[in-house]
Amino acid sequence: MTEVFQKLKKIVTEKYISDSIYVRHAYSRNVNPVLQGVPDIVIRPKDAQEISEILKIANEENIPIVPRGGGCCEWGGSIVENDTGIILDMKRMNNVINLDQDNLVVTVGAGIAWGALNNYLSQFGLYTGCLGPGSGLTASVGGGISHHSVGAGGCAKYGACTNQLVSLEVVLPTGDIIETGSQANKFSKVPFNRFGNGPDLAGLFCGDNGIYGVKTQVSLKVFPRPPIAAYKTFVLPRKDTEAASQIMMEIRRKGIDVFDTIFIPQLVVVLGAQEGMFPLWKQLKRKRGILFYSIEANSEIELNERVKQLDEIFLSKKTEELGPEISDGNFAKWQYENPWHLYHNLWGIQPACEPFTAECFTPLNTLPELVADTMAWENECKEDMQKIGELTGNRIVMSSAGPVALIDGNNVEYTVGFNTSHSYHEGTTHEIIDELNLKLWKSLLIRTYKQGVQYYMCGSVPSKLMVEIGAYSQEYNNLLKSIKKTLDPNFILSRGKFNLTGEME
Amino acid sequence: MPELENLKKVWDNVFSCMGCGECGFAVNPNAEIYLTCPVKEALGDAAFEIHFSRGRMSVLKSILKGAIPLSKELAEFVYQCTECGNCTETCHQCDENVVLKISEWIDHNNVWNALRKDLVQAGHAPLEKHATLIELMNNPEMKNPYGEEKSKKYAWADGFSNIKEKGEFAIFGGCTMPLRQAETLKNMMKIFQAAGKDIAMSKDEWCCGSIAMRIGDYKAVEEEVKHNIELYKSMGAKTVFSPCAGCYRTLKKDYPEIIGEELPFEVKHITEVLAEMIKNNEIAFKEAEAETLKVTYHDPCHLGRHMDLYEEPREIISKIPGIELVEMKRNRKNAWCCGAGGGVKSQFPELSLDISKERVREAIETGARVFLTSCPFCVGNLRDAVNQMSSEVQDKIEVVDIIDFIALKI
Repeated sequence: MTEVFQKLKKIVTEKYISDSIYVRHAYSRNVNPVLQGVPDIVIRPKDAQEISEILKIANEENIPIVPRGGGCCEWGGSIVENDTGIILDMKRMNNVINLDQDNLVVTVGAGIAWGALNNYLSQFGLYTGCLGPGSGLTASVGGGISHHSVGAGGCAKYGACTNQLVSLEVVLPTGDIIETGSQANKFSKVPFNRFGNGPDLAGLFCGDNGIYGVKTQVSLKVFPRPPIAAYKTFVLPRKDTEAASQIMMEIRRKGIDVFDTIFIPQLVVVLGAQEGMFPLWKQLKRKRGILFYSIEANSEIELNERVKQLDEIFLSKKTEELGPEISDGNFAKWQYENPWHLYHNLWGIQPACEPFTAECFTPLNTLPELVADTMAWENECKEDMQKIGELTGNRIVMSSAGPVALIDGNNVEYTVGFNTSHSYHEGTTHEIIDELNLKLWKSLLIRTYKQGVQYYMCGSVPSKLMVEIGAYSQEYNNLLKSIKKTLDPNFILSRGKFNLTGEME
Repeated sequence: MPELENLKKVWDNVFSCMGCGECGFAVNPNAEIYLTCPVKEALGDAAFEIHFSRGRMSVLKSILKGAIPLSKELAEFVYQCTECGNCTETCHQCDENVVLKISEWIDHNNVWNALRKDLVQAGHAPLEKHATLIELMNNPEMKNPYGEEKSKKYAWADGFSNIKEKGEFAIFGGCTMPLRQAETLKNMMKIFQAAGKDIAMSKDEWCCGSIAMRIGDYKAVEEEVKHNIELYKSMGAKTVFSPCAGCYRTLKKDYPEIIGEELPFEVKHITEVLAEMIKNNEIAFKEAEAETLKVTYHDPCHLGRHMDLYEEPREIISKIPGIELVEMKRNRKNAWCCGAGGGVKSQFPELSLDISKERVREAIETGARVFLTSCPFCVGNLRDAVNQMSSEVQDKIEVVDIIDFIALKI
């Protein structure tokens, strides 16, 4: 590895590479309490050219490389496997390269965070529409594109962030650099359209979880932010999931372009109020599920008309509207004013307590059944959960459906998971906790996969499970492998994900 | 001594960090957060994740699990942190309506402090320059980290008839101001004289020990703490005030924690004293000049985030005729650090100045001519930064201690 380090150092210079044990451990985790992968080297390239050279060396030396944007994956997506490989820290490539105000396209380094980008765009009265993932104050634009991210806000109106994609600059695993969409035509002066010039090769890299190429530049459509907005929050009737699902379907049927509509289930409302996480709901008489909407418009007339339509839909399902201020319980207003903060409702409910969460897409009408099945799974797993609770004193809580966000099409983003603990507790490492966590986590994933959901942040664990449980058809799996083998003959990039290392069946 | 004695006490803080990374990357205008870690930003492209909180927390998880050891190499990273506490503020983004629960479990500075204590106990720290400061601080001929003779600390007080040897209202002058910014103390006395206020001062005040505590060497300050408490008791002090933000934090927060009980006197910062005097009409300001003067105010970390003292300096400024306070983009809880704290100024002076330059640029953006603050460490570092910057910058802004500014206006 020393020789490799020296070769890589020549590319980026000494300042931007490290094999210090402490630097390596700093890059060894994502957002989950179990998975860890300690890289051999961490490298911080400045551009596509450097990445190209790095990848060529990795191919020569047969060393796996994992790109890391914000490092916010919940599934070990941006850590190495088996404590071997190189982490490619993309956060140096975090600049706004061009804002084309005429054609409303922004081109950025893939390492820029969604929050930083939208802060820049706000000077021009613009935003990215979908504001990326809930973790977008850290998560990078490149990472968002790699996962079809949603969650920070705007995904009911604009859909997943990949909907806004115009073109990509990608370094292929062999080191070749390509541009997609309008930029596939080398005579094109500015990125302006994703489609055309042949097949949509950008689509190959959207949601690829980093297996097919390293995104280095991203061009996105941007939108003028409408000047006014309304936001209302409602308490749902007893069967909250069914009501939420029906209301969201009705919104879609009526074609109302809500900015966000998000469902927070009763369990989260009750626990959140009880544990001091949602003081705004402490005074609620009936602590049931909450559903809220936010909607933007260019004029009062336009806004009022849509609000009227939305209110009719909500109130027809026996909901109860909360007051207009945040302190009245109007979470919609809080969420609209504080994007990038609605994730993991039960994060940190107890000290050293972290959720195993996973967000998947599912059709609107499947939500009640899916939630019921997840709760049934929870009941089946009580014994294992109790074991963790006994060792740590922490109460293991299912966050079986929270939050649920309306996204593009007639789908929702459904968050499943359970709060759990690290294996380290008061001076002792209980390895059994890691085992139980992984067992429970995988079992929940398999259960939901078999309900037909789509996980979009597949990282290391769900991507493999999808293959292992035979969810992909053999033909589809072969196609994935075939593309991988063509682009990445040595399986250098994100090695292990989707189990794409074997021969075709 | 048991290994990792102090880190083990804060294990739940460490494992409560989920690794979201906002302590490294957050830009959130709604919460007035424009990036978080001054060290990471000053290092720029050369900053790895270990240079900000998330990376260090990940390393600490590995250390607590026994995967990697403490070492001198780790200390070199750890002591680049100014302990400004901005990561905690970002981590705790919440309001009265919605609370991110982890805010109750993580106090980053407690964790860094435990880590530094363990590094010292394991013999990997203090680093070279820090060790020298502590040695000087403990030298019986000096008792200050500047290596100056004891008597020099009190030279500024000559000729002030309203300084008594004993009394209820006593000054803890600290080391930096008497030895490096003595004019400010003279100006403070000018204000007190005008108000007819006497103070008590001892000529045997030892360093408060802040420098050693921030480095994690608590053993080195045992004598200092005992001596200073006894000293002020013997002077009959009921209120001890300090013009130094670092001393103020140390006396008010650290001393009671170390001795395990309340101090026998109240501790105040000079801005609290001055704000009270203004409220009681004890300070008469000159009439406003024809043209309004724009000033901005920098919250010292040891006063603001560490002690939650934000409003008194602003109250003072608001009462000075002809002055307009223009806030910097990052103020109060989100204020950008000056770069001097946590031992960074002494061990990594260039890094400290790079951080400070960013704060100077931010002050200039406000259009203010005068850059006020209320900590001698901040004053020193911000002035050093201005002096290193272009003559254009030097023409645009002047760093002034709030005491000196008041003295000019009475």
